[in-house]
Amino acid sequence: MRPEVREALIAKLTALADDEVILAHRNSEWTGHGPILEEDIALANIVQDELGHATLWYGLRQALDGSDPDRLAFFRDAYEYRNCELVELPKGDWAFTMLRQFLFDLYETLWLEAAQHSTYQPLAEAVQKIMREERFHLQHTYAWVERLGLGTEESNRRLQQALDMQWGYAQQLFVPIPGEELLVAEGIVPDLAPIKARWLELATRHLQNSGLKLPINPGYQPTSRAGHTEHLWSILAEMQSTARWDAEAKVW
Amino acid sequence: MDTQWPRWEVFKQDTPSKPHQAVGSVHAADPQHALLTARNIFARRPQAVSMWVARADDIFSWTKEEIAEGQLKAESHEARGLQHPAKYLAFRKTSHKRSMTFVDYVGEVEATTPEEALRKAQATFTDAEALAWWLVPAARVFKSDPSPQTIESWFAPAKDKTYKQQQYYATIGAHVSKHKVGRGVEDEA
Repeated sequence: MRPEVREALIAKLTALADDEVILAHRNSEWTGHGPILEEDIALANIVQDELGHATLWYGLRQALDGSDPDRLAFFRDAYEYRNCELVELPKGDWAFTMLRQFLFDLYETLWLEAAQHSTYQPLAEAVQKIMREERFHLQHTYAWVERLGLGTEESNRRLQQALDMQWGYAQQLFVPIPGEELLVAEGIVPDLAPIKARWLELATRHLQNSGLKLPINPGYQPTSRAGHTEHLWSILAEMQSTARWDAEAKVW
Repeated sequence: MDTQWPRWEVFKQDTPSKPHQAVGSVHAADPQHALLTARNIFARRPQAVSMWVARADDIFSWTKEEIAEGQLKAESHEARGLQHPAKYLAFRKTSHKRSMTFVDYVGEVEATTPEEALRKAQATFTDAEALAWWLVPAARVFKSDPSPQTIESWFAPAKDKTYKQQQYYATIGAHVSKHKVGRGVEDEA
């Protein structure tokens, strides 16, 4: 693998893993606070799955540059994280969390389907493992969007409010990282443009069928993954505090 | 206003050759939601190939003792529109030993009322003594999608998931006593 392709792949794997870690940590904030026990457990399951996916992506990076996944997760500062801004936004209400998870699951499922035939074998294998879990996640959040959108006036209002806030942020999922075109040219990762077109079509159809207003003015659309909202600082402070408190801890 | 979601009983099938077994209940807004939550609660790790759910209100149940005392009348089924011939799924409990499962699926009967379904089930499934019976109108039982893709997505990931004991995490999982040094010796030593 040429050095510049390798560099780009390391950056892409980091972005994929960082999205999963931050979204998982955000959703873990619902543990013990879910609207009903069954959904509390369900979301905790999704969180664990997403962390498992992050472990796979960091593991692929480790095979390329030897970096330790725990160091990456717990000892990088916010400016070194490469997650999209959508996943770091505060969890909001249940509608906000379910909508974000739906928009993300739909993107991830479509990306994985397109990445199945990656020319980079370790990536193609990871995709197979992740994809089957993502299909189930998507069914779950797809169902929630429908029920909240068509539920009561209040649930519809809350979901629309979440959509108005998130629609622009979600577009960042389809902004290639610097050097991604090298990976696309080598067939290592799929081109994001057709995935975005399909995502827009499917997301719009489901959201409209669920009684939501689209298209809307997308508002702020982040582009660079080097930039973050202030929320990333606080979530990392909380997430990393134990590991950083005593990095050499050997006892509990 | 009652804001509680209805309760659904969950039946899980471990392998294609085993019957569906009652494993517990979930609260959910509708059948599909019940199946989704049931999968999360009852099949994230344990083996499964299929799940069914039925609203607790749609299940007619009798214990051996109730049957012996002649309490055969199911409550208010007339109001639920169950007066015409219909298929019922029969579930039976045959052991007090298992703590997790209550009844196993044994088969279908056709009947006009739940009581008739019970009588037919008693006459049909005679291979073991029944400690309790559940009869559920087949139309009120909702099943997970049997397609290979859904089975793969809902149930296959469980095979790779394992429980990890604390000891697995060697660094922080080791008990403090393992790191104790002699009295008066500095930890930094």
